[in-house]
Amino acid sequence: MVEISVENLTKHYDKLVALDNVSLKVGSGEVFGLLGPNGAGKSTLLKILVGILRPTSGTIRLGEYDILADQEKAKKLIGYLPENPSLYTGLTTLEFLQFVGKIRGVADDLLDREISESLKSFQLEDKRNSLVGSLSKGMKQKVALIATSLHNPQVLVLDEPLTALDPKTRVSVKDWIDGQTKRGVTTILSTHDLDVAQTHAGRIGIIDHGKIVAIGDVDSLRKMANTASDARLEDVFLRLTEEKGEEPIRH
Amino acid sequence: MRYWIKGRFTRGAILGLVIGEAFSIIFILFGSSTYLSFSNRVGLSTGLSEVALSLFLALFLVGLIQSGFNGSGLPVRASDVDYVFTSPVPPHEVFAAKVLLNSLTTVLFGFPPILVLYLRFSAYYHTSWIAAVLAGLVTLVFLVIGLLLSADITLSLGHGLGGRKKLWRNIFIVLIMVISLLPITLLIPGIPTGIALVTQVLPNGLAAAVSVGLVSGTRGGLTVLADLLLLFAWLVGVLVLGVRMSRGHFYDLLEVSAPGTGEKFDHPNQTSKLDPRGKSLWAIVRLKEKIMISRTREGRAQLISDVFLAGFMIIYALSGSFQSSPTSFLFILFIIGSFGSGTASRWIEKERLWILKSSPVSMRRYVKEVYRARAAPLLLYLTPIVIAVGVPLILAGLSQPALLLGVILALPGALEIASITMAGGMFFASKYGQSSTDDILSSQAQELADIRRFLFQTIINLVMVSPVILLVFVSETLVVTLGPGYLPILALGLISVSIVFTGLSINFLLNKAGDAVSRREDL
Repeated sequence: MVEISVENLTKHYDKLVALDNVSLKVGSGEVFGLLGPNGAGKSTLLKILVGILRPTSGTIRLGEYDILADQEKAKKLIGYLPENPSLYTGLTTLEFLQFVGKIRGVADDLLDREISESLKSFQLEDKRNSLVGSLSKGMKQKVALIATSLHNPQVLVLDEPLTALDPKTRVSVKDWIDGQTKRGVTTILSTHDLDVAQTHAGRIGIIDHGKIVAIGDVDSLRKMANTASDARLEDVFLRLTEEKGEEPIRH
Repeated sequence: MRYWIKGRFTRGAILGLVIGEAFSIIFILFGSSTYLSFSNRVGLSTGLSEVALSLFLALFLVGLIQSGFNGSGLPVRASDVDYVFTSPVPPHEVFAAKVLLNSLTTVLFGFPPILVLYLRFSAYYHTSWIAAVLAGLVTLVFLVIGLLLSADITLSLGHGLGGRKKLWRNIFIVLIMVISLLPITLLIPGIPTGIALVTQVLPNGLAAAVSVGLVSGTRGGLTVLADLLLLFAWLVGVLVLGVRMSRGHFYDLLEVSAPGTGEKFDHPNQTSKLDPRGKSLWAIVRLKEKIMISRTREGRAQLISDVFLAGFMIIYALSGSFQSSPTSFLFILFIIGSFGSGTASRWIEKERLWILKSSPVSMRRYVKEVYRARAAPLLLYLTPIVIAVGVPLILAGLSQPALLLGVILALPGALEIASITMAGGMFFASKYGQSSTDDILSSQAQELADIRRFLFQTIINLVMVSPVILLVFVSETLVVTLGPGYLPILALGLISVSIVFTGLSINFLLNKAGDAVSRREDL
């Protein structure tokens, strides 16, 4: 069980401030939903969390490890699923999973078993020897999900895992997320799907223009947004992220 | 067409073309001089030049035929599919515009190096520059015929063409390919030389006969006129055929090029070969690279580069230029290597770096293992060629110790330069290679960025390999100064220095590559 701690995280790209003094804590075994408009800084935050980007300032700790100072140890704990993951299209499904398992340090005997069970649970057994490049988008997403959890990570970082998936695949992915959270894996889930956030996340953080504008469970967020106690999360989100002096756009 | 041209001929593209043309011209000058030196040395006539050119053009034609069957006979972008094909424009107009644009591009880019080639030949044969220009124009006509043929083959892939017509098409194409490559059989002793005349019914044979005939002054008058008429008959024939076939819908036959569409694979189902049991992580990394290379066009491109390099080394050695100037050999090898290092630079796969960067692996070590996987096949292939070429050269040079040291150093030097330019290519891909941000730059800014990177890469690679070339350059002076008795010690010492330098350079470049990938945030 691993806790995530982000303190005073800032990320600049020349004059652009992508993240502005972001702080949050995700408890051990918690599922934390991260919401925000396009370009708010969600993916930047997640990429810094998993060590792909470096912060301009601030610290990130995964359990006892600092992501900058103890990179290799911290990365062993993480399973990361990016938005639109790009896979090795020239490898077969099996080869791709074997490769990822190996670079993430999974023992040989365990790797075979994990891959077989995962392919079975995602109904991809007949695709083991198919080139990843020949798979449909939904199948690729499933393969990417399997790759994310092969090494039984203690922290999951999922960036928009449901984007552009058909309904059947969305159900598979949601079931997978449920399974992981039941194992007690600490999860940060970035999504535009407010239903998923509401259903799966214990707490939700809303980020806008690189700043955290609100953190809490749904009821707390309703209070912060001064909305009704049964207001939809969508309305809460719109209220909290509206431009100052402007009315939120409603259709 | 106006907008296609505007999109294609940006300032950046023009600058890139100028640089590319400069490199092509330098290469053609060296290549043609080497060829003429070789034919002069072995006493071959213009007949061989005609056959050699015909074969060279035949290879070009075969490549275009292959493109045609792949659906690339009419290059199409994803934006064409979205905007042109969905507009009320008659298909045959789209065909005509595409063919015109391709022909224009080919003529524009192809003419300068072709003209230089024929000017070199006309200087050798003491004929007028006008003959060279005419020969160049004839060769350009051949290129346009090839492009039209490729387009026609792509159009013929459609369902509109019945089974019987497709059979005749296949027979026709096979005949063209067999006849155009027939002169290769002249390498077999006993084959009558007249066999090469058969190719003079085909565009490559006609173009070669007319072009070489003009620059060598051995062909003129009615013969040239007859050949030209036949060549233009081919041109009209393939053009009319294409226009007729393009009247129907043909868009679904075309191969669309778009960034990020990924590699093409012949067979979606394969046998999985990456068994990790009992293997170290780094062995798996190397194996993954080899599997990826073998399953994509990279393997073919690598093989073509290797064959080209080997051919160049053999011809250069046989031409007699190697012994007199091993330095120029290494310099030309470096130029070839600079273009060929594109193979190495393809390792970067920026879209998939998230897998490595979110994993607990050392990027420095990873880059080195990728290098091992990519460089080893080239070196394994080149080493026997170098030995096969080197032994006769060394034996022939025993009587000239001053030149011999240069030859001895240049042989491993060739492998060293190939190794360093590959590592340099990987470093540059890491440090300056196209980022994800580049995909959203305007095409002009992207082209300028690519040109700048290519120039940087070439300059820095040259700096890295220059000590190797310099050693060869000063070798003659060293032998003359110290005396021939020191030759064995000098050879051993300088080769050792050269190898150590190469090892350190490669290690330095690959460490920098790993660090660059780790630090870059735009990939």
